[in-house]
Amino acid sequence: MSTNLNNNNEVSFVPPFLKKIFEYIKSTPVWKSIFRVGYPDTMPKRMAVMRSSFYMHIFPTKVGVHGMKIKYGWCMGGITFFLFLLLTITGILLMFYYVPEEHRAYNDMKDLRYVVPFGVILRNMHRWGAHGMVFTVILHMIRVFYTGSYKPPRQFNWTVGVLLLLITLMLSFTGYLLPWDQLGFWAVTVGTNMASATPLLGYEGPFSKYLGIQIDNDIRFALIGGTRIGPNALVRAYVWHCVGLPLIATALMIFHFWRIRKDGFSGPM
Amino acid sequence: MDKENEFEKRVSRRKFFNIAGWTGLFAFFGSSGAAGARFFYPKVLYEPASTFNAGKPEEYTAPAGNEKAVVDERWKKSQRVWMVRTKEGIYAMVAICTHLGCTPNWFPTEVRFKCPCHGSNYNTDGEVVAGPAPEPLYRAKIELAPDGSMIVTTGLLGIRRANLQTQKKTLGVFWTEEEKGVIWKPPYFLQLKA
Repeated sequence: MSTNLNNNNEVSFVPPFLKKIFEYIKSTPVWKSIFRVGYPDTMPKRMAVMRSSFYMHIFPTKVGVHGMKIKYGWCMGGITFFLFLLLTITGILLMFYYVPEEHRAYNDMKDLRYVVPFGVILRNMHRWGAHGMVFTVILHMIRVFYTGSYKPPRQFNWTVGVLLLLITLMLSFTGYLLPWDQLGFWAVTVGTNMASATPLLGYEGPFSKYLGIQIDNDIRFALIGGTRIGPNALVRAYVWHCVGLPLIATALMIFHFWRIRKDGFSGPM
Repeated sequence: MDKENEFEKRVSRRKFFNIAGWTGLFAFFGSSGAAGARFFYPKVLYEPASTFNAGKPEEYTAPAGNEKAVVDERWKKSQRVWMVRTKEGIYAMVAICTHLGCTPNWFPTEVRFKCPCHGSNYNTDGEVVAGPAPEPLYRAKIELAPDGSMIVTTGLLGIRRANLQTQKKTLGVFWTEEEKGVIWKPPYFLQLKA
C-alpha cells in the first residue's frame, strides 16, 4: 500500500485514485443533499452537523466531562434502550413463527425451542433481554433517585420515566402469558384477578356495586375479553405486547430522550 | 346603535366559532374515546357453557363410618367443580380459589383443599381454615332434570357469595348463620336419603 502526504503534511493511507473517486462522490448533488455539512472539524460545523442530521440530532454538540463518566450513571438508561431495540428485533422474528391461538401457542413456543433454525437463541435472547430490561430500568431509576437527577428542571422527565417503567412492567406481564404454559397462565389469572379489585372499576373492588359493575362489565373483562383466561385473553395479551405497548413506549421514549437532550446531563453531586 | 350591533357585541362571530369549534373537537374526541372503550367489551363470548349434567346422585359414593364427606373430583378438570357427597346429600363447589382465582387441590388424607398459588386452605364446607382467601369457596346450583340427573350451574354471576349476602358489607372466612340458611337448602344443596 502506498502512503503519501496530503496538503497538511499528514500521512494518508488512501491511494490517490480512490481519493479522486471519493472526491467525485462527495461533489455529487446526491451526496450533498444527504450529508450537508462535511467533515465536522470546526465548532460551527459540529453544531451544524448535530442540527442538520436526523441520526445525530439526538446528541448534544458538547458534553460536559462529568457526563462522560461511566461511574456516574453506569449507562443504565442507554442499556435499557439497547435492550428495548434488541427485544423489538428478536420479538419481530419470533412473530414469524408464533401464533396466539390456544391450540397452537404452546406448541409454537416449543417449536421455536427445538425446531426453528436459531429459534432457541432468539427466544432466549427475548426472554433474558426482557428480564434484563426490567432489571436495568429499575437500576436506572435508582441511580436517578440517588443522584437527585429528578430535581428541577427535570421533574417532568422523571414522571415520563415512571410511565416508561410501568409500560416495561406491562410488557413483561403481557409477554408472560404468550407461551401459554402453566406458569404464565396462572400468573396472569392472579394478576388480572387483582385488577378486579380496582376501586370503582373492578367487580370485587370498593364502591363498584353502586355503579352496577359486574364480572361481565368491569375492567378485568376489558383486559381479558371474557370472564376467564381463554383465547380472547391470549389474543389481547399478544396485541398489547406486540403493537399497543411498544408504540406507547416508543412515543414516551422519544419524549424522554428529547427532554434529556434539552436539559443536558445532570452533574455530579 | 341598532339591534344588529348589540347582538354582535353579545355573541361575536369570532366567539361563536370559537365555542362551536371547541365543542365540536371535544365531542369528536369524547365520543371516539367512549367508542374506543366500548370496543374492548365483547358482546358475544365463546366460553364453555356454565351448566353441565353431573349424572345421577347414585353415582356418587356416600361417606362411610366416621367420614364427614366424600369429595368427587371427576368434574374438576372439565368443569372446575367438586361434587361433595355428605351423609345428608350432595353439593357442588367451584374449584376457584376466592383469593386470586387459582385452582386448589384436594388432599383426602388432610381433609383439606389447598391452593398452590398462595397457600389458602379450605375444609369440606368450603370455609377458609388457613391462608389469604377472604371468603369461602363458591357453591354451584344443583337442579334435578326430569330423568333424575343433576344439572349443575357454575355461572359466576349466580354463585357469588356477595349475592348470598346481598347488601351486607362484612366478609368472613366462615359461613354466617344467615348464609348457612341459604347454602344448605336447594338449589345449593340436594337432599338425599342416607
